[in-house]
Amino acid sequence: MSRQDHIREFAAQALADGRVDYFIGWKQGYNSSEVVPAFVKDPADVDQLIWTPLCHHNLVTFIKRNMPDPADAKIGLCVKGCDSRTLVALLQEELVDKEKLYVVGVPCDGIVDRRKLEKEFADELVDIAFPERGRVVVTTGKGETREFAQDDVLLDVCGRCRYPNALYADDVAGPLEAEPDREESGPDWSDIADFENLSDDEKQAALERVYATCIRCFACVHVCPVCVCWDKCVNRSREPELVAQKVGAKENLLFQMIHMFHVAGRCTSCGACDRACPVEIPLYLLHRKMNKEIYDMFGFEPGTKLDEKPVFQLFDLATDHFGD
Amino acid sequence: MAIRFLKQDQLPAFLGQLAEKARVVAPVKTDGVVQFQPWVSGQDVELDVLLAKQSPKEYVFLQTETYLKFGYEMVKPEAAGGDTAAEEADPVSVDDAAVEVAIPYETVTVEPQNEAPAQVIFGLRPCDARGFVQMDQVFGGYGGFYYDPLYNARREATTLLAVTCREPRSTCFCTAIGGGPAGEEGVDALFTQVDGGFVVEALTEKGEAALAAAGAALTDATDAQIAAAGEVKTAAGAKIDVPFALEGIRDNLHDNIADDRWHDQAMRCISCGTCTYVCPSCYCFSINDELVESTGERYRVWDNCFNPLYTEETSGHNPRAQKSNRFRNRFSHKFWYYPDKYDSLLCSGCGRCIMNCPTRIDIREIVRVMGAPAPAVAAGAASEAPAATGDAPAVAEGKEA
Repeated sequence: MSRQDHIREFAAQALADGRVDYFIGWKQGYNSSEVVPAFVKDPADVDQLIWTPLCHHNLVTFIKRNMPDPADAKIGLCVKGCDSRTLVALLQEELVDKEKLYVVGVPCDGIVDRRKLEKEFADELVDIAFPERGRVVVTTGKGETREFAQDDVLLDVCGRCRYPNALYADDVAGPLEAEPDREESGPDWSDIADFENLSDDEKQAALERVYATCIRCFACVHVCPVCVCWDKCVNRSREPELVAQKVGAKENLLFQMIHMFHVAGRCTSCGACDRACPVEIPLYLLHRKMNKEIYDMFGFEPGTKLDEKPVFQLFDLATDHFGD
Repeated sequence: MAIRFLKQDQLPAFLGQLAEKARVVAPVKTDGVVQFQPWVSGQDVELDVLLAKQSPKEYVFLQTETYLKFGYEMVKPEAAGGDTAAEEADPVSVDDAAVEVAIPYETVTVEPQNEAPAQVIFGLRPCDARGFVQMDQVFGGYGGFYYDPLYNARREATTLLAVTCREPRSTCFCTAIGGGPAGEEGVDALFTQVDGGFVVEALTEKGEAALAAAGAALTDATDAQIAAAGEVKTAAGAKIDVPFALEGIRDNLHDNIADDRWHDQAMRCISCGTCTYVCPSCYCFSINDELVESTGERYRVWDNCFNPLYTEETSGHNPRAQKSNRFRNRFSHKFWYYPDKYDSLLCSGCGRCIMNCPTRIDIREIVRVMGAPAPAVAAGAASEAPAATGDAPAVAEGKEA
C-alpha cells in the first residue's frame, strides 16, 4: 500500500468518523507539474489527495491563527518531518489545540524544487512525473521531455534534512524513512557559510541587494507557519507606524529583520517563505543565520521536542540565564 | 502607416536609439528572475520567457509614489519694537501686533512632486498593455472626474511597444475576456517575431513617433514577412483555451455574494498580496504621511484587498474581517463591481496570479465556479443575503475608487 493510499484511507476514516470537519492534504494544481494544498470535507472526495515529491507546502500554515474556517474546526492534516517541527513549535507555545487536530505523518525522501526545474527551460513546465523512486521526468509546453535524478533537483532544505519522519503524528502513512544519526552530525549550516564569511559591510550590501527586489506582498509572512500575528503584523501597523510602508531596499530589509527576530528560536527552517516569495528572494539567509546563532548559544533546535519550552520562553530575568 | 521590419541583431541598436530620447524599460533576467527594468545598453532583453514576474505597471503606477514633501520649522521672532515711525502714527495697533509676532510660530513648506520622464516600455505583452487601459478608466475615470495627475502624466509620457505572444502558456486566458496574443488595445506599436526578426506595426501616433525616432534600425517589411506575422498571430490565438464564457458572470457573482462556497474556495488562500502585485490591472493603494523629526512626505503605496487593514475602519470595525470575505472581493471587483462602473473587465487574462500564487489559486476556476448560478439548494439563501452581510459592494467600492 502506497503512502498516498494510506493518506486517503486515514482521511476517509477521520471524515467518516466525524473526528475532523475537514482534512488537509495535497492535490494536483492547474496542471500535473503543480501540487497545491487540498481541503477535503467529504470522504467521497479523498481520491483527489496525492503524495509525490512535489508536495512541498507546509500544511501547518493552515492551522495557525485565523486560518481555520470555521474558527473552531476540527482539522486533519498531513505533515512531513520538517512540517511536524513547525507543528511541535506551535504546540510548545500552546498556539494550537492538540485536541482539535488529527495528524498524519508522511515519511518523506525529499521534495523536488520546481523552481530548479523551471530554470532548466525557457518554456513552462506542464508535467512532472515520477515513474519510480529517484527519477523525475519533466515535460514542457512544447513537448520537450527531460529526465533528472531526484537528488539533483531537491529543495536545498531537503539536502540538509535530519528529520525525514514526523516528530508528532497520530498515524503514519506507511513505513518510516531511514533516519540519519543526529548524534553523530549536528545541523548542517553550509548553506550560509558564504554569507557568514562576508565582512559586515559586505553582508549589509548583499542583503540590501537581495531585498531591493522585494515587492512587499508579505507572502513570506503569511505563509510562515510560526508567524501568527496575522492582521496585527507590526509591518503593516499604521498606529503606531513602526515600519515605513514605502518600498525600498532599506525599508524592506528592516521589515525582514523584524520578521527574523520575531521568529528567532521558533523558525524551523521549513523553507516555506523561500518557496512562497514570488520574486525568489533567498529569505533563508537571515533566518538560517539566526537559527545557527541560537543553536550555537543554547543548543536549541526549534520544534524538535514536544515537552520543551521555546528558548525565549525560558529566559529568566532574575537569574539572567535560560533555565538550566 | 507602413509595416516595418526589425532584424533580430538590430534590436540593441533600435533600443539604443530609443534610449537617446527616453528611458527604455524592458524585461531583463537577473539572478534567474525576469522583471521589467530600466534597460541599459548591452543588456539582453528576455523575450523567451513569456511573462516577466510582474507586469510593467510599476513604471506608470509606481509602487511608492511621493505626492509631496513637507517640513516645518519653529521661528523665534526677534524682540518687538523698532518701527518707531509706525508707532508714532498709531501706537495702540503696533503694540498689539508686536505682542502677536513675539510668539514663536511654525512655517510649513510643501513641495509637490510630479516627475514624468518620457519612457518607452518594450517587450510587454498585449495583456500587459490592456492592463494600462483598464487602469486608465480609474485614474482618469468618468471622463476625467477622478483625474489623477501623477498617473496620467506618466501614462502620457509612456509609449508601449508590445510583443505578440508566439507561445502562450497554459495559464493564459486572454481570449476568454476579449483580448488576444496579438491584441492591440493600449498598444502603441506591435512587434511580431518571425524568422530573422520582428514585423513591426505602428498602431498609434505615439507608436509611429517612437519608430520614427529609431528608424535607422528598421526596414520596410516584405509581403512574405507580413504574411508570416499574420500566421504567427492566428496560430497563437488558437493555442489559448477559453476556460469560461463571460455571459452571466456579473449577475451570478452578485447573486452568490453570501454563498458558502466562497469559504471553500478561499481555504488555501494565505491572504498575502502576491496576485494583486503581479497583476497588470490591480490598482488599489493607500496613502501614508511619514514624518521624521520635522520633515516628511506624503506618499501613496500599493495596497491590496487581502490586507486586513485595507478595509479596517477608524472605529476598528472591519467589514471584511474574514479571509474569505477579502478573497471574494478580488474576483468580484474584477468581474462585477468594476464592470458595473466601466462596462469592461478588470482582468486581461495574463495568468500571472495563477502561476505566482504561493498556493496556485486559479482565477479561471474561481470565476467558473462562483460566476455560475448557485446550486439549487443554496439559491434561496443566497438571494436574500446580500443586504444582510454589511459588505455590500457600495461599501467596497468607496474604498476602491
